[in-house]
Amino acid sequence: MDQLDILKSKWQSQKRDFPTYSTAQLTGLIAKKSSSIVKWIFYIAIGEFLLLTILNIFMMDSDQHDKFVMMLGKPLYYGSYVLSYVVVLFFIYRFWKNYKNISADQPARQLMKNILKTRKTMKWYIWYNMIYVMIFGVIAAVLVLFNDPALSELIESAEFQEHKVRFMAGYITVMVLFFAVFCAVLYGIYSLIYGILLRRLKKNYQELKKMEI
Amino acid sequence: MSSDLEKEFVEQLEANQNIVHKICRLYTDNQDAHNDLFQEVTIQLWKAYPKFRGDSKFSTWMYRVALNTAITLYRKSKRRVKTQRYETVEFKIEDTTEDDETMEQLTLLYGAVKQLNDIEKALVFLYLEDKNYREIAETLGISEVNARVKMNRIKTKLTNIINP
Repeated sequence: MDQLDILKSKWQSQKRDFPTYSTAQLTGLIAKKSSSIVKWIFYIAIGEFLLLTILNIFMMDSDQHDKFVMMLGKPLYYGSYVLSYVVVLFFIYRFWKNYKNISADQPARQLMKNILKTRKTMKWYIWYNMIYVMIFGVIAAVLVLFNDPALSELIESAEFQEHKVRFMAGYITVMVLFFAVFCAVLYGIYSLIYGILLRRLKKNYQELKKMEI
Repeated sequence: MSSDLEKEFVEQLEANQNIVHKICRLYTDNQDAHNDLFQEVTIQLWKAYPKFRGDSKFSTWMYRVALNTAITLYRKSKRRVKTQRYETVEFKIEDTTEDDETMEQLTLLYGAVKQLNDIEKALVFLYLEDKNYREIAETLGISEVNARVKMNRIKTKLTNIINP
């Protein structure tokens, strides 16, 4: 019998050396609220859906609305409007389906995998929104340029013609950069939150994966 | 949920709570963290209980949920105040029959296991609880062969920690 076997037998013979809970105390405990990471992921996702949908409504229904309709044409504009809601519903459905798959009585590796899958859905959702903000943001910025009376007068003036191409190229570059930085900062904050939340899970998942190689 | 179900659950939990306490002691450093993790395990067990069909023993099912909570679901809460570390806590022992030598060896064993990482701890814990490799593999979601290989490595590691 080696040392570990002796320790194992000691382990199994250990008495209740912990403060034990009575049935009344345990009944009280199960009524408490969970603070598990799955719950956090759920709240963050709800926040993302709400925030980005509000942002979407704000962008679609702002005073740029008519200009967008004019520029894109009614079918394209309303088509993209409907599409954006279909996409949100699709993401909510995907999220809910993955979320429902998470269960504490799964094998550890499966549980971790399901949590990471749920998080991935939200990652794609954020990517989708960033691309959306980029495209519509730049289009809106260009529209502002042409619809502002003072600015369009300047652009169309005879003296400005030779600078027009360079000006437009510069303007669009700046706007693209602006939205890119905006999205990068948002994404950075977002990744940080998930990074902190899932650091331990990822480490343990890697450890289990390593065993299977 | 019906109160009958709740009563049945609490009774089983009460009888098997030592399993959860042992896991809590392995994965936390002080009594407050222990209680915090114990609470989260209890909540997770209760949440999963309606799906527990009784195909396996309550305790077998409990090992899985409790370990999953400790390794994956549990998030350390910040509200906790700093309290005594385990090493300084005098455990109240019910009808103690354990001699000093056993207590000393158990403290040594806990100390050594706590130096392992989360997954290794889970493997050792299941081994100490006399689970076979099939059960260990099923709990963690790895193959039986890999559980065996890994366990042998951890045993060596553990022996080295105990006998530096």
